[in-house]
This record gives sequence, C-alpha cells and structure tokens, in this order.
Amino acid sequence: MLIKQMPARVESLHDLLTFITDEAKKKCFSEDARHRIELVVEEALVNVFVHGHTQHQVQVEVRCLDSDDSSLTIEIIDTGVSFNPLSLADPDLQPDLNARKIGGMGVFLIRKMTDGVAYRREGDNNILTMTVLNR
Amino acid sequence: MEIAVTNESDIFIFSIRGRLDAVSVPQLEERLNQWFEQSGTKLVFDLDGLDYISSAGLRVFLTTAKKMKARNGKLCMARLRENVKDVFTISGFIALIPAFDTLGVAKDAIQ
Repeated sequence: MLIKQMPARVESLHDLLTFITDEAKKKCFSEDARHRIELVVEEALVNVFVHGHTQHQVQVEVRCLDSDDSSLTIEIIDTGVSFNPLSLADPDLQPDLNARKIGGMGVFLIRKMTDGVAYRREGDNNILTMTVLNR
Repeated sequence: MEIAVTNESDIFIFSIRGRLDAVSVPQLEERLNQWFEQSGTKLVFDLDGLDYISSAGLRVFLTTAKKMKARNGKLCMARLRENVKDVFTISGFIALIPAFDTLGVAKDAIQ
C-alpha cells in the first residue's frame, strides 16, 4: 500500500494529486479513468481543507490500496472534525440560472464519477474510500 | 493556468489554458473581478487550452453567469475538451452557459 501524508491545506493539493495520478499511470489506466480519479481526489481533499478545521494542524493522508489492474481504490484520511461528506443532499440541478444555487457540486461529482464511495469514522479520523474502475 | 484577455470590438474573450482547480481559481476570480469593474456585456470563455476543471472552477463560471445576467449581458463558452465537457454535463452547467464547438460560432451567438 502506498501512502502520502501532508498538511491539510490547498498548497498540498498538487503534490497529492500527482502522487495518485502517477499510480494510475503505472497501472495503465485510460485517460478518462485518470481524469475521473484526479477530479474525485481533488474534490475529496478540498472538502477536507475546507471542513476539517480544528485547533491543531490537520493532516491528510492519501492511500492507494492494493488492487488489481482493473480498478483503483483510494482512501482519503484526515484528522479533522468528524464530517461525513456523503451525508450532504445532492444539489438541485436547476436549469434556471436565477434559481441555481452556488456550491454542493464537489460531493455530487464524487458520487457520479466514482464506481463506489463510502465514509467511516475511525477513532479521530475521517476515512473516505473511493473506487474507480479502469474503463 | 494562463489567462489571456482579448477583445474584438465589444466582445471580450477570456482564453484559459492549463488547470482550473482549487489552487488556480483565485487567479481567474481576480482577473474577472477586474473585468467586471468595466461595463462590458459580451464575454466568451475560450477553453481550447483548458486541460482540467473541478468544482472550484465550476463555481467561478456560475458566479460569472449570474453576474452577466444581472447586467443583461451575454456569456458563452467555446471549444470545450471532452473531459471538461463531461464535468459541465454531469453538473448540469451545460444548460446554464451555452457551449459552442468553435470560437467563431460562439462570437456570432452573442453578437
């Protein structure tokens, strides 16, 4: 299992994304699958950066779990306040510009672009598990 | 990310290249805020060079669309790459901001 840990702030984003997209490249994932992986990992990380604030410096860890060549399972683990992103309701996909609300798209994109997503709280950690199939 | 702003008469074109993500979004917001200080009403996002967009980028597009509507302006996008188009389609944003295959058609549409 490959692990990369960094402070939970936006400055860490590109290093963490490169870590995971390099893995997807090594596994010969399609361009489309690599794009979905990059997007859902960014959305999950940005949620941690925004919602995780506590007194202490929050750490975030990206884990690439052992899996076969047809799928990639990623865990995003943070030490921030307890927060289940999957508890958020889907945004209203209002086609009317005036009525359309800003925000809520990150978790929606995670739901739509992964082939599996789950949240659990373990001790002081939030753990989001996302699986993307190579297709 | 690189942003180039050009204009052809009263049509302003924002050409956005590279990655529009949580890191680069403030740069685009700043450039747009400067533009909104003027009274322009016709804006095209040329996305031919845009490799990647996340929800942070979508948020700026929605804010811009709302501001343009508030000043009775016209906004559209041109030349979205396949993966960028996917994000706009899944999020439903494709129904909020018209998208065109070429810059010429986009300019004609808001003329």
